Amino acid sequence: MPGAAPVSVVRVPTLGRWVFLLVPLLVLPVPFLVNRYIQYVLNLILVYVLVGVGFNIVIGNLGQLAFANVALFGLGAYASGILVVHAGWPWWTTIVPAGLIGALAGILASLPALRRIRLFYLAIMTMAFGELLRWIYIRAEPLTNGSMGLAVPPPVLLGLRLSSDRSKFYVFLVLVVVVVLLTSSLLRSRFGRAFMAIRDNELAAAAMGIPTDRYFVLAFAWSGFVVGVAGAMYTALVGHVTPEAFNLLELILHFAVVMVGGLASLAGSVIGAIVLTTTPELFRSFPGVQELVLSFVIIGVLLFLPRGLVSLLARRWSVFHERYYRE
Amino acid sequence: MALLELDDVTVRYGGLTAVAGVSLSLDPGEVRAIIGPNGAGKTTLFNAITGHAMLAAGSIRFRAERIDGLAPYLVSAKGVRRTFQNGGLFGELTALENVLAGLHTQVPTGFFGVLFGMPAARATERAATSRARGLLELMGIGHLADKPARELSGGQQRMVEIVRALATRPPLLLLDEPAVGLAPAVREQLLGVIRRLVREEGIAVVLIEHAIEFVMTVSDRIVVLNDGKVIADGTPAEVPRNREVLEAYLGH
Amino acid sequence: MLAQLVVSGIAQGVLYALVALSMTMLYRATTVVNFGHGDLVMGGAFAVYVFVVYLRLPYLAGALIALAVLFGVGVAIHQGLMRRIMTGPHLAIAMMALAVGYALRGGARMLWGREVLPFPRIFPDRAWAIGDVVVTSDNVIVSGTVLGLMVVLLVLFNVTRIGRLLQAVFQSQRGAALIGLNVDGVHRLVWGAAAALAALGGVLLAPITLLYPDMGVWVLVRGFAAMTLGGFGSLPGAVLGGLILGVMELVLGAYLSTAFIDISAYVIVIAVLLLRPDGLFGRQVVVRV
Repeated sequence: MPGAAPVSVVRVPTLGRWVFLLVPLLVLPVPFLVNRYIQYVLNLILVYVLVGVGFNIVIGNLGQLAFANVALFGLGAYASGILVVHAGWPWWTTIVPAGLIGALAGILASLPALRRIRLFYLAIMTMAFGELLRWIYIRAEPLTNGSMGLAVPPPVLLGLRLSSDRSKFYVFLVLVVVVVLLTSSLLRSRFGRAFMAIRDNELAAAAMGIPTDRYFVLAFAWSGFVVGVAGAMYTALVGHVTPEAFNLLELILHFAVVMVGGLASLAGSVIGAIVLTTTPELFRSFPGVQELVLSFVIIGVLLFLPRGLVSLLARRWSVFHERYYRE
Repeated sequence: MALLELDDVTVRYGGLTAVAGVSLSLDPGEVRAIIGPNGAGKTTLFNAITGHAMLAAGSIRFRAERIDGLAPYLVSAKGVRRTFQNGGLFGELTALENVLAGLHTQVPTGFFGVLFGMPAARATERAATSRARGLLELMGIGHLADKPARELSGGQQRMVEIVRALATRPPLLLLDEPAVGLAPAVREQLLGVIRRLVREEGIAVVLIEHAIEFVMTVSDRIVVLNDGKVIADGTPAEVPRNREVLEAYLGH
Repeated sequence: MLAQLVVSGIAQGVLYALVALSMTMLYRATTVVNFGHGDLVMGGAFAVYVFVVYLRLPYLAGALIALAVLFGVGVAIHQGLMRRIMTGPHLAIAMMALAVGYALRGGARMLWGREVLPFPRIFPDRAWAIGDVVVTSDNVIVSGTVLGLMVVLLVLFNVTRIGRLLQAVFQSQRGAALIGLNVDGVHRLVWGAAAALAALGGVLLAPITLLYPDMGVWVLVRGFAAMTLGGFGSLPGAVLGGLILGVMELVLGAYLSTAFIDISAYVIVIAVLLLRPDGLFGRQVVVRV
């Protein structure tokens, strides 16, 4: 029967979560070795790592076809921008609010699922939600400056102006490491296991005493928080928030990040972010080619490597596997 | 006091009556088998008990408390656990993680404790993991702990599912066709497990089965269902002599 | 005024109905929800544009060729891609459909970039007044074509052998396979037909609107809204849903706010799924856990 098999993810015992601290340490000197353009791309990768991590929670771990990610990303970006421009808040104080707004919107996006709406219906509904938000961004001119987009001044951290991409890099790195570590803790607990139980067999999960509604909302809330923070980072990086940045094309990019990297895999989100940020940049000057390459990449992965690139790496190095318990 | 009491339970799907006025009573530590031809309503009865199916009429009491109409996770939290006929495991999780999922209600960690990696939460998690490993060892499948459930053989999956179901030492265990497709040696093992559960833990077991010999050896009483109705309820000695039972089976 | 809105709304709604019908047909036969369907409509529109504007073919010829081309595209999508992943996770299927649509969009963007293209005037510039209501030849041609087509499809569905084959597969794919029907062949046919019908939508849209590569999104959401309103999976529901949507957009747009012309579709999807998920004629949407 079509569509009957569950989502497939990668598994095996792991080396340790020290990897999450080690890799960032190794990466610390990089900003001094690269030019401004590459620095910008690296910053963009960091943004999309969180985008991927957030999205993966809902479609990888919880296994739901919820397409609200772009909506949440946009909300976080606009929330941060609006607070900076209209309320005069320094950027770094808008990070958590952006995350909270993303969490709230995530909870909203999960409500249809509580009415037992699943699969394609959920997908369509969350898609409609995203498009509706985009329409609101365009119409809410006093706040968002409509289609022209909101121009946001360079981000400020504790009084310091982060005008260079290099300085942004270090701030972003800290944010990413913190959020990824928190997410990892969440996933290696009864909460993470509950998410995946719901994904693999919702009826059995309920039969194990897991209150599926509550955990649905929780997964969407945390996912929304992570993606909201990514939105705030995006605003700081790009300095200009437009409605066009959060359309269905962006959704496909988010999908590509998690599917190419690997569903339900933190390492996969990192890999996906790297691949999907650098590839479009290579074709930036040729309109249409970007989209063609992106779609071919997705189609290729879907046909030949449904478990994502991380599955290839996992065959060689066990550090790329995730385990969902503490010992 | 009876552990589980079904009183005139009726379940309908659209125009079809899957279960019609079933009444039975189960004591703690008892092993009851439910047998009957395909489509007799056995799994539907389980679904009614666990809250996965709504009652059209009747009531279900567990420890004198009404549980019909409760959401499945609440019924489960009260101490009713089950296995499923087809693939009830969480396929992408390992055997260990499956059992840990079964332990969910007995791993009392809070969201923020877990999120920030607080020492208390971490300790609770670690304790749960070793408890889960211990359970798998006890059942002789400790070596399968880190294998993804979908990679296990049918028999192994069945065993993991049973371990998962009894991880919280539930007073009532519902097993849906646990012996199907198992090799004779594994069936023996399963038999031993069920006997041990009943003797040592005082767990009451209700099992749906087709393998008559298995049923005869392990059950205290047998209930025979046909077309959603109880047509016999007696000891392993009495039931095979019941004429209606014979007709039901020969007629199919 | 209301009568005018209703008439104009129906004229618009028939296109939504066509898109929703083709998507529903595909869904019933293959259980695939084609998230790239809007881009097939776009493909039809741009194809007829190429034939009429660049190759200077007459509109009718260009339209027919466009239909044939998109039929082929639909078959190719099934044969090359969908067939291989249909038994897998729903997420992969949704993504594949989305990616294919995206590829079509990329192709269009490569050729026409950010341009918005006007189509030459094809339909005669006439209008008729019936009482207070004005009906243009655009309205007549588009509505007439779509409604006529639907009658034909209805007849084919109920009378011909292929129609009965489709009915069997719509009912139960497994059942149809068990009795020896060529389910894969049906899938191929339906993919081609659905793509061709989508292309027809594009062909009819082209002369009455501006073309741009991202127009598929607009179409997709309205197709979904029509399907949701009529009840997901219901063929008559898809048609009725489309017509009602067309009317609602204009009526709400006139009496409540012009905003509703844009957002009726989104609001309908969200509201209907939350309040009455079965829509008008739909099948069971919810799952008891």
